[in-house]
Amino acid sequence: MKLTHDKRAAALFILPLLLTVGVFILVPVLGTVANSFLRDVTFLPERYIGLANYRALLNDGAFWQSLRFTCLFTLVSVPLELIFGMIFALILNQALPGRGVLRVAVLIPWAIPAAISGRAFELIYNYSYGLANYLLQNLGLADEPVNWLGTGWGAFFSLVVADGWKTTPFIAIILLAGLSAIPEELHQQARVDRAHFLQRFWRITLPLLKPVLVVALLFRTVQALRIFDVIFVLTGGGPGGATNALSLYGYQYFVSGDFGYGSAISVVLFALALVFALLYVRASRFQEEMR
Amino acid sequence: MSELWQKRLLTGLGVAVMLLFCLLPFGYMVLTSFAQQPDYLGQASFQFTLENYRAILTAESLHFLEYLRNSLIVSGVSATLAVLVASLAAYAMTRLPLPGKGLILFGVLAVSMFPPVSIVSYLFQVMNTFGLINTWPALIFPYIAWVLPLSLWILVSYFAQIPRDLDRAALIDGCSRWQILTRVVLPVAAPGIFSTLLLAFIFAFNEFMFALMLTTDYQARTIPVGIALFQGLHGQIPWGRIMAASVFTSLPVIALTLMFQRRIIQGLTRGAVKG
Repeated sequence: MKLTHDKRAAALFILPLLLTVGVFILVPVLGTVANSFLRDVTFLPERYIGLANYRALLNDGAFWQSLRFTCLFTLVSVPLELIFGMIFALILNQALPGRGVLRVAVLIPWAIPAAISGRAFELIYNYSYGLANYLLQNLGLADEPVNWLGTGWGAFFSLVVADGWKTTPFIAIILLAGLSAIPEELHQQARVDRAHFLQRFWRITLPLLKPVLVVALLFRTVQALRIFDVIFVLTGGGPGGATNALSLYGYQYFVSGDFGYGSAISVVLFALALVFALLYVRASRFQEEMR
Repeated sequence: MSELWQKRLLTGLGVAVMLLFCLLPFGYMVLTSFAQQPDYLGQASFQFTLENYRAILTAESLHFLEYLRNSLIVSGVSATLAVLVASLAAYAMTRLPLPGKGLILFGVLAVSMFPPVSIVSYLFQVMNTFGLINTWPALIFPYIAWVLPLSLWILVSYFAQIPRDLDRAALIDGCSRWQILTRVVLPVAAPGIFSTLLLAFIFAFNEFMFALMLTTDYQARTIPVGIALFQGLHGQIPWGRIMAASVFTSLPVIALTLMFQRRIIQGLTRGAVKG
């Protein structure tokens, strides 16, 4: 009696969650998939066209450029963020004076909305009076100002830095939690054995941190694949579509009123992200069971 | 050089680089917000002014305060509702006989990784049908769903730590499940719920793509979109005002982060990357 009562309570308590996620995330995703099989353009009657949108994608040079950029951006930025995040975490894990202040400083980039920090970086990369060129020229690293946002490689590099500014501290915080879970005795033993601190890092810290690193890596991969805010603000996908990430490319079709083609682009990104999302869920699950 | 000194030198260098990296862009934002002309690093010299702040706070044509109001209301309401929904679910998951717990928990985690672009166009069509485009509800509903996974993960981890004996004692005293949740578990979990609320608020406050697509002007547009689309009249970008608006917007979030640093870090690591 009590048990069936509890089961009913459980169903009631979980229902709002399932409803909200179902109605506002799962249904829209399925709706987008359905739209991708339609010719769904403003002012034209809707029509089922099967895989025509996807076939059009295959011959769309801008789509391939967008896909290539998205993958390249992910491949470059995620490892860099992990490496620097690791270094930051190792520093934050030291018994330093003012450790609390350091942690707060690291949280500031994380707390500022990406669209806002994007605008700050837009000014930083300004050709004639931005901070980036000012520092480069005054430190004698460059004679001529660099055209950060006007060239393909400049824009790519600028985006990696602007995105990394926000995400590296976040990774550091996550890795820090993993670091502080490593028993101090292990390090002490290694010190007794006269292991150098770099050796201790490679032999003790890194292997023990591997599960956390894998989770962070997969999490960041999915986030990098779906990047939007920073690019929208900083380069708008330019110059000449060089930084037009898939999210932005799909969005541009929605804005111009072509929901069918935009949906097809979104579905491709969704499928790509889903692979890593499922790997990520598996890794987190594994980590959860280890606890 | 001894190992201790090598380590100290490396750490000192690392601290300097890290602080510079994290604080320099924000410092530049603050400095520019007080500059009469943004080109003080170029030909001109720096001249202090409060004009940029005066402009964003008083010039009605900029709609800055309206964007801010929309952001606070939309993020506040959706974070509160999300935490409410997540508390109910987390209670069921940690205390009640629920089939498929793992499936729900990890399913929600997978859902949180979906790219917003694969949701936003359909949401736009639905909101358009109901005439909700450019209203607060158009953002509140998707935001609840958007911050739910994070809230759920953090709260499940908090609730799991509360001793079950408390529930049992209350059950024996004749409390219903609802009473146990509201009178026993929630008060004990209050600090955890507060951290979750804070994180959910910051996540909703930072959201961009839904706000960009589902609003059209100052009546519902949120501040990140407002600042992203902030343009000058004659092609000249009003950097001073943009930076003043950015600093003004970031300060409350930064203040919250400063005040509740421990809780935020705890929440982030409990939801372990599950944003």
